[in-house]
Amino acid sequence: MAVSRRRMLAWITGTGLVGSGVLSAISNFVFIKPRATYGQPQRFSIGKPDDYPAGTRIALDARRICVVREGNRIAAVSTTCTHLGCIVGLADTGFACPCHGSRFDSDGTVTGGPAPRPLPWYKITLAPNGEIEVDKDTEITPGSYLTL
Amino acid sequence: MSKETASPSLLTAVKELPGNVWKSLFRNPLPTNDLERSSTSFTNFFLHIHPVKVHKNTLRPSYTLGLGLISFFLFMILVVTGILLMFYYVPSTTQAYDRMLDLRGSVAFGTILRNMHRWSAHGMVAVVVMHLCRVFLTGSYKKPREFNWVLGVVLLLLTLLMSFTGYLLPWDQLAFWAITVGTAIAGYAPIVGKDIQFLLMGGSTVGQEALLRFYVLHVAVLPAVLTLSIAIHFWRIRKDGGLSRPADADPTPPMEMAGSAADPRPSTLDGKKTYGLQGLVRGPLTKVNNIPDNTVFSWPNLFMSELFVFVMTLAVVLVLALLFNAPLEEPVNVMHPPNPAKAPWYFLGLQEMVSYSAFWGGIGVPGIFVGLLLLTPYLDRSPKGVGKWFSRDRLLANTIFLTFLLANVIFVIIGTFFRGPNWAFVTPW
Ligand code: FES
Repeated sequence: MAVSRRRMLAWITGTGLVGSGVLSAISNFVFIKPRATYGQPQRFSIGKPDDYPAGTRIALDARRICVVREGNRIAAVSTTCTHLGCIVGLADTGFACPCHGSRFDSDGTVTGGPAPRPLPWYKITLAPNGEIEVDKDTEITPGSYLTL
Repeated sequence: MSKETASPSLLTAVKELPGNVWKSLFRNPLPTNDLERSSTSFTNFFLHIHPVKVHKNTLRPSYTLGLGLISFFLFMILVVTGILLMFYYVPSTTQAYDRMLDLRGSVAFGTILRNMHRWSAHGMVAVVVMHLCRVFLTGSYKKPREFNWVLGVVLLLLTLLMSFTGYLLPWDQLAFWAITVGTAIAGYAPIVGKDIQFLLMGGSTVGQEALLRFYVLHVAVLPAVLTLSIAIHFWRIRKDGGLSRPADADPTPPMEMAGSAADPRPSTLDGKKTYGLQGLVRGPLTKVNNIPDNTVFSWPNLFMSELFVFVMTLAVVLVLALLFNAPLEEPVNVMHPPNPAKAPWYFLGLQEMVSYSAFWGGIGVPGIFVGLLLLTPYLDRSPKGVGKWFSRDRLLANTIFLTFLLANVIFVIIGTFFRGPNWAFVTPW
């Protein structure tokens, strides 16, 4: 009935060794998971509304967005393909992705190819200094423009 | 000085120095008889991985095509050229591409080293796949070689990972967009996908952190794992009784010689050992069962064929490296993927599948494929048809395998020749 001392010690040693093995394996993953990343800011200004004349679609490739202006309404559509993250290019019919052939209309709705979701639209606000501010952390329903 | 007559004089020692150093390095002279031939492989560390004698079937070029050896030699070429390239490479987004140009312009042998590294890598992917086909089509994954087959599949995956982590390093357009797409595919894996993607990139976009990570994986982590797996793979070949061969390749010992039928104490060694290794090496030449066998001494038969394969492999790589330059695309432009953005040929099948569905093409189908490969020896338990190419007994298994293979080849061909800008279907003529 009683567990012998030797057995007991064997158990403790065994559990200790296996446990520390598992812990050190896990700690490797903790180690290689960065705590902070230094990417581009997700909120940024893209200049005055006048830079985007009515009826234009201007792709800001560095920011991976496309600024769409229709009359006095303005919006920012993502240009990162929802399939595997390539940058979609402007096409006559909207956007086209060079990597696996996804196609989107000018609102970002998928019209062909493997992309699983439409291109997201980002929140856009007019800062007090008159510049347009895009917030890539906040997605809004496609089709909702900011009226200037 | 008269005391020194017992030991040879300094002068003699100096005179005999070269000979003595040589003898301390190599314990045996070049062999002239069977005893010495066995000792040669038995006492040399590097040859010791080989058996003293090998089966004649193993040496038939038309059986193995030397594919396993070629993969190994390509790996060695990759290690050597890779280490040399490390002297001039900096894993930094601002320097990596310039370093590539330096290799071309101002480093002696830079171009040829890079070419050799690139073409050996392509070659290794191709040859490892062909080796897998050889092993499958000759039924060599069957008992007792199940685990070595599993290891082999792991080695294939490691080879692909090595090449995938390798092509981020030049930091050209191919590198950047391939890794963007590749890590995004990993992101589609269920549950852990997003974490894996984040760990691989060390951030949320491909940048400096990703480059450093892929570099460490490429030059330290994966080579270490690969080397260890190769070592076990080779060791298992010995332990599994050498390469597979058809059942009729070995003469069966006459019944009265086997003699164990009446033995009341069955030994686990019965039926495995046909001669005493120690007896063979230390002499006298005793065989346990004095039966005819189909083996030949490794020295010189096996070693010479290995040397031949090595020289041929090196020669082909050298010629390719002299004739064709490894491509280097435009420097990374994070704003514009090239159009069409194509992966290297061996990943184009995957890219083609991914263009139908990211999950199924990138995770689902490859996952099922690898799973089936790993399970093959545990699903196909029939011991028949080992050691023969396209054996009739293995018609079903071979057909399934070839179908998968052909599908993949077709996808690669479509991806290579029939896809144009925006991944639209084009005809190459
Ligand atoms: S990344 Fe756009 S279609 Fe694949």
